[in-house]
Amino acid sequence: MESLDEDARLMLRYRDGDADAFLALYARHKGPLYRYLLRQVRNAGAAADVFQEVWSRLIATRGRYEARAKFATYLFHIAHNCMVDFFRRDLRLPQAARSDEAAAHSAEPEVPEYQRPDGIAEFAEQQSALLAALSSLPQEQREAFLLHEETGLSIEEIARVTDVGLETAKSRLRYAIGKLKKALSAGLAPEAERARSRRELKATQLNAST
Amino acid sequence: MHPPDDLDEYLRGGSALSRQYRRESAPAPPHALDRRVLRSSSRAEGRPPYLAPLAFAASVLLSVALVLAIAFGPQRPKRADDTPRLVRVAARADASPNSALNRTPRIYSSDPLRARTRSAWLADIAALRRSGRNREADAEMLRFRRAYPDYSSGDSPVLR
Repeated sequence: MESLDEDARLMLRYRDGDADAFLALYARHKGPLYRYLLRQVRNAGAAADVFQEVWSRLIATRGRYEARAKFATYLFHIAHNCMVDFFRRDLRLPQAARSDEAAAHSAEPEVPEYQRPDGIAEFAEQQSALLAALSSLPQEQREAFLLHEETGLSIEEIARVTDVGLETAKSRLRYAIGKLKKALSAGLAPEAERARSRRELKATQLNAST
Repeated sequence: MHPPDDLDEYLRGGSALSRQYRRESAPAPPHALDRRVLRSSSRAEGRPPYLAPLAFAASVLLSVALVLAIAFGPQRPKRADDTPRLVRVAARADASPNSALNRTPRIYSSDPLRARTRSAWLADIAALRRSGRNREADAEMLRFRRAYPDYSSGDSPVLR
């Protein structure tokens, strides 16, 4: 028990009937899990459904929980399985109804303009380029990247979550970061240029109206 | 040993890519979704987690017991000479004016536990003869004699 992480202890407490432990676990993991799902399925509605399914499965199987590994590995393994199920269901849908066709661009809720100080507006434009590059990755590579970034899982843990060998997980992550770096170095300069142009245009429009 | 590549550098943490990703807007689940998850958690709190498998095991056990009871449970063994045919005959004869045949059909002498009295049996045989069913009356008579070999034929006109 000494080597257990804090989350695994919480999950054991929840398994034994402590409802507050669930609240703590939920508060800690809801954000990373939601972003992992949202950026994988690329549809806010579908992500919400899968998100709820993941927690429902965790709740339903809590009686069988054993703290064999990091809690995040356990939670994201459930999430991975739910997502695989989602993609299988999604593949059976007619082409027009598929989630990535329907809402690829509306999935990432935009931060409203009024909430952005001018100083970070250009940076926000650069982030869009990163998300666009992430979105264009093959699903397995995107998943490896998101698991590492959102949960800090090691390659061994990513391999366990995604049910693949160590070398496969390593190779997926290597390809993902290679492509992201390449896309960013190629795309950031023009993107920043476009952002500057947009700001200038907005300033011109403001001046014209006053 | 291969030279450190992008992956090694990235895994050490603090790479430009990671920094950039973490500065990204971090969408969180909507409050309505939070409420749905927390509601399902509190609904589950009333039920201990071991209850579902226990309920399943109990229903399987009950089903198996039911099937076994149907297949191997206590049954009244069928007998070759149970003469249900005569029961059916008697039941069909309720239109007949003969009161003996209108009685509620009973199990015959081949079932000693439920045997009729001798006089009731003889009355049945007599009724069969009166209604012209002599072959059935003869068969009944044979059964009667087997059941009561010492019964004197002088005791009843039916046996004569």
